[in-house]
Amino acid sequence: MVAEMHPHDIELFEYVEDELPQARREEIAAHLATCGVCAAQVELAATGREALRGTELLELPEDRREAILENLPAPERVAGEGRVFSPKLVLAGLTALLLLAAVIGVLVNSRGGAGMESSAGGTAAEDATAASAGGMESVQAKSSLFSSGPADEVAEELQQKGFKASLQKDRVVVRGATEAQVREALADRGPGDVEVVVKNP
Amino acid sequence: MEDPDAPLVERARRGDRRAFEQLVERHQHRLLTLAARTLGSADEAADAVQEAFIRAWLGLPRFRGGSLFSTWLYRIGLNAAHDQRLKRRTEPLDEVREPADPQDSFLMSELSSTLQAALNQLEDDYRVAVVLYDVLGCSYTEIAELTDVAEGTVKSRIFRGRSRLAELLGTRTAEE
Repeated sequence: MVAEMHPHDIELFEYVEDELPQARREEIAAHLATCGVCAAQVELAATGREALRGTELLELPEDRREAILENLPAPERVAGEGRVFSPKLVLAGLTALLLLAAVIGVLVNSRGGAGMESSAGGTAAEDATAASAGGMESVQAKSSLFSSGPADEVAEELQQKGFKASLQKDRVVVRGATEAQVREALADRGPGDVEVVVKNP
Repeated sequence: MEDPDAPLVERARRGDRRAFEQLVERHQHRLLTLAARTLGSADEAADAVQEAFIRAWLGLPRFRGGSLFSTWLYRIGLNAAHDQRLKRRTEPLDEVREPADPQDSFLMSELSSTLQAALNQLEDDYRVAVVLYDVLGCSYTEIAELTDVAEGTVKSRIFRGRSRLAELLGTRTAEE
């Protein structure tokens, strides 16, 4: 007996999964009764399904799970969400304002008495810069930046450039340097997932 | 479709580590199973899972909920597993690691089974389809989205993957 055209894989799959409308299911069943090729495929697919469905989910070892949670880097912040004014942004803003005030002071004084020009103006600018720098230093006793990794290469690069850098878990800790110095040293790497903690003296 | 992970995802997106820990708890075994069954290596699978969760954590701020969180996470997991496979191909032979952690012994025994040996011989597309559908219980829609193919193609791949797997397991029926 010549079998009619073979059903497509999709229909044979739906036959195995019992997803076909009753009328079509009966047509496929009639075809399978006369077509050994399709019947064998359906039998194999059913056998494969049973083998796969006998498997269980695998357990992630506890130490692996802990390693995931311990090594989560600082999250990237959603643009326009969360805190709008981070401490770093506030500091940067204050620094800019102080510098601006200093520059204005210099300009105002330069238009005033000649005797005041260098001393008073200079002092105002220096004070503003010193205040902002001092403020940055005191607040940034410990700060973080993020560089492209891997972490061990970042630590090694910093050590080669004379920094006291060490690898602690997946973070790089740098002592006795400023964030700006470290940022400059890693400028070629660009931003990434490796946290670099900078601890000033 | 409402995502059962949505409340936790929303908190985790804003940097809540506890919420993300709960997502890890919820999905770790399924993600490991996906990675292990597609890679056939316990150690590489655990590495892929670790990498996938870290990528997910970092990528959460850009996750807009256009798909289920689980679908998004499994896609990251498949990419991480793919990267592990590439790494295996490019590592010198003496640097290919042996699983050293005794806690991986269960995984190793599972992955040395006859079924896994057969899975390892399947074409990638078929292996991913049958693992997602028959082992993890994903829907056609999820698998289609994960693998960038039409639902009909998903069904065809599952059908052929199952058949080929049965052949590899040497379980051809007597009628054949």
